[in-house]
Amino acid sequence: MSVYALQKLLRDVNRIPERREAYFKSPAAFAQGYDLTEREREVLLGFDVRALYDMGVHGLILRQFTILHKMSDPDYVKVLRGE
Amino acid sequence: MPISFACAASHAPGITAWAEAAPPTQKERVYGAFGELRARLDASGAEVLILLTSEHWANFFLDHMGAFCVGRAETYTGPIEPWLKIERTQVRGDAALATEILETAYERGIEPSFAYELQFDHGTMVPLSLINPKMDLPVVPVLFNTLAVPQPTARRCLELGRVIGEIAARSPRRIGLIATGGLSHDPGERNHGVIDSGFDEKFLTAMAAGDGDRLGRYSRADFAAAGSGAFELLSWVALAGALGGRKGELVAYEAVKPWATGVGLMAFPAAA
Repeated sequence: MSVYALQKLLRDVNRIPERREAYFKSPAAFAQGYDLTEREREVLLGFDVRALYDMGVHGLILRQFTILHKMSDPDYVKVLRGE
Repeated sequence: MPISFACAASHAPGITAWAEAAPPTQKERVYGAFGELRARLDASGAEVLILLTSEHWANFFLDHMGAFCVGRAETYTGPIEPWLKIERTQVRGDAALATEILETAYERGIEPSFAYELQFDHGTMVPLSLINPKMDLPVVPVLFNTLAVPQPTARRCLELGRVIGEIAARSPRRIGLIATGGLSHDPGERNHGVIDSGFDEKFLTAMAAGDGDRLGRYSRADFAAAGSGAFELLSWVALAGALGGRKGELVAYEAVKPWATGVGLMAFPAAA
């Protein structure tokens, strides 16, 4: 259940200020603290929102994570729908 | 004592975080409706609030997900979202009332989990900051798993609500109830922004009629068809269980596209 670790990482960024700060300081270093597959790591570090969604990240976790990245609602919807 | 105050309200984060994105008339109606609920709460003399609210991954994750969780903390903090445009605040709890809810539920064959520490997110802080902005009433949060499959059934939520109604009715204190969540929306999912006003109308009609039988028959498929966020209406169903058939008055309904949510607010005045 590798998406488990990916969702755990994203959720930690969403809800724990210190983790959020560490992630935005160095996403690559931060990701090393989680048991991600190579593909998950690539998608996370590339901020590939559509791929994160397709991998099974829950929408509420993903939307909050993208809000922290200043992604607007219309842009988020476009990315998810491939528009 | 009869339940002195009861309402149900949506809690979309856009209500506060990007309020101005909504068409002005819709924003005014929604904020006006929250003001109406605020006035009713102030007039009710409620001494404590039971909040029937949604878990949004703020407290629980897939390492341990229960159907219901009753907060037994002395204080709560929220919101956890730095972008919500609600000041981070402490809210007093009521551990004794929480324990009474748990013990009575167990006696009736329902076993919610409990927590001595919980954080509040938009699901609690949006309605609470608009309905009781003074934050001067202690609260007991009851969290519903509305996001990880399987969610509890509507029938079970109705039963849990009856337990809460029983406690409120026998309490010497004035207890207020706030249910929050819904209506149709698919937050963060493929149909983010899609609102099913037909579903919302039928659900609101059943709530206004106090029709527990109908509400208890809502299936997981029914909620899923109205978007993943429609499961949050399980808290409304529980409220209907607590109110035992009391009628509701729709204060406002607006399908607010920029907030990606069918926004409904309903009051349940005590019978004259």
